[in-house]
Amino acid sequence: MSGSGNVGVHVDHNIQEDPEKLAEFQQKIDDGMLIEVDDWMPEAYRTGMLKMAEHHANSEIIGALPEGEWITRAPSLRRKLALTAKVQDEVGHGQMLYRVSQDLGKTRDNMLRDLITGKTKYHNVFNYPAPTWGDIAMIQWLIDGAAILNQGTLADGAFGPYVRTMKRINMEEAFHFKSGEDMVLTLMGGTMKQREMGQEAFDRWWYPSLMFFGPRDKPNAEQLPPMRWRMKTVTNDGLRQRFINRFAPAALALGLKIHVVEKDEHGMVTSKKPDENLRLNEETGNWEFTEPDWEEFFRVIRGHGPCNKQRLALRRLSYEQGHWVRNAILHGSKNLPPAA
Amino acid sequence: MQSIPDNLKPPFTDLLLAIADDKLMLGHRNSDWTGLGPILEEDIAFSSLAQDEIAHASAFYELAGELLGTSSDELAFGRTPEEYRCAAIVEVPDDFDWASAICRQFFCDEYDMLRLKRMTISNYTPLANLAGRILAEEQVHIEHSEEWVVRLGRGTHEARQRMQKAIDRLAPIALWLFEPFDGLKSLIDAGLYPGSDFDMYDTWTTRIQDILEKAELTMHVEIGEPDDKGGRRGVHTEHFEPLLNDMCEVYRIEPGVAW
Ligand SMILES: [Fe+2]
Ligand SMILES: [Fe+2]
Repeated sequence: MSGSGNVGVHVDHNIQEDPEKLAEFQQKIDDGMLIEVDDWMPEAYRTGMLKMAEHHANSEIIGALPEGEWITRAPSLRRKLALTAKVQDEVGHGQMLYRVSQDLGKTRDNMLRDLITGKTKYHNVFNYPAPTWGDIAMIQWLIDGAAILNQGTLADGAFGPYVRTMKRINMEEAFHFKSGEDMVLTLMGGTMKQREMGQEAFDRWWYPSLMFFGPRDKPNAEQLPPMRWRMKTVTNDGLRQRFINRFAPAALALGLKIHVVEKDEHGMVTSKKPDENLRLNEETGNWEFTEPDWEEFFRVIRGHGPCNKQRLALRRLSYEQGHWVRNAILHGSKNLPPAA
Repeated sequence: MQSIPDNLKPPFTDLLLAIADDKLMLGHRNSDWTGLGPILEEDIAFSSLAQDEIAHASAFYELAGELLGTSSDELAFGRTPEEYRCAAIVEVPDDFDWASAICRQFFCDEYDMLRLKRMTISNYTPLANLAGRILAEEQVHIEHSEEWVVRLGRGTHEARQRMQKAIDRLAPIALWLFEPFDGLKSLIDAGLYPGSDFDMYDTWTTRIQDILEKAELTMHVEIGEPDDKGGRRGVHTEHFEPLLNDMCEVYRIEPGVAW
């Protein structure tokens, strides 16, 4: 799941790019052509794309953790298999995206190390807790649903290797979304306890999924490098609106109620009330809604979310536990004969 | 449905449950590595192995369920601990140690291959067919585990030490895979599960010793008549109940409903 597109591009004005080449580059992008690794590109584009692909890769493998914790508890053989396969897909996405990043000049080990030391980031949404099976259903429905929307537009981007990876990933995300939808349907069509579990999980995940697309846009977002260079193709607010237009009516149709919530430091809902701003504006065709708590968003990004520490600690543990294995493969003293 | 004489039904369903339970618990333990494997590529490969085991388990539960008049999910999630027939080796945790995980998989894969081969010549056609279908996938598992055993055994000094430690700890536990259960002989005589457990044990140890030799590792075990009952007869290690409680946590909130 995931998909970044919100990683800032830092244009270093000390680097003097050849204006002719820069114009040619821009023309290629405006003509809808793809940029390949070996093509000329401005330094800010290369570092920006690397940052974006790396952030996305990080998000895939950190995103595997909250759901991974529920594989052992999945309540039927079919769900157990599907969830294992789903989390496996996410790891696969991570692997593909690390490869895109590697081609832009950073080794995988450096990326994994930067991730666990906190030097690089991953998607904010994975810093929220998944305390019940209902959360697993909601993550697969809302967050994978959000990821499809986002990644669908990233697949319209200009950087060839990233665009091709997005296309491949999106086919798998569609499966995740389908199975998430099926899980939510089953819960909401189930017993009283199951429906409560579904609603409570929805209350925990609705706002994180709105924040998924990143903060409010700057007024000139479309003129800034990320969009001018088609690193991303739709604004954050534009994506958020598309998401709500699709998911607000879908949630209501399932019998879910959309609440504005307050949460404690563990990400658990302490109070909720119906979102009074929620309504379909017949004129614009858009659903109106209460904005997320953006202060919370930035607090979580700065590392103070409910699960930041836990996620990084588990990732670090995995990295450290695997150290001797990677060493054995790299530095095994004897050649390996065929085992058979 | 091909019919099984009433007196052979209990041991025969025990046999089906033994393989299904082994595979489910092994897959369950292995699936826990998904997202946490030592290398991304292996994370993905090991997760596929886990999924195969769970899918195989599911198919064997279905066979057993037809005879017992129940569903696969009820068999997988809805029994009391003493009703499970898995062996101790799939119950022990790996404590997030890759050497233990590989070693456990290795012992189980080698055993499963031999067990499945016997099942392919069962005169109960549904079992013979299922075993035949699964055999090819098990072959892939075996190659995978054997490669890892050799790779780690012949890797660094640390890797060899860790592997040796895992073998020393797990080999005696693995022998419980061979625990005979009530009525086993009658299944053999009736052609439902042809072959001999003794031959199977010999083949198993020989193959394992061969691979360990390549890996410059050793195993010292001797099988005897077990004094106590083990998993095949419903007596489980202390690790089993916590495993089951974890696995059934959600299922038990509302048993029997769709999730
Ligand atoms: Fe993904
Ligand atoms: Fe996904």
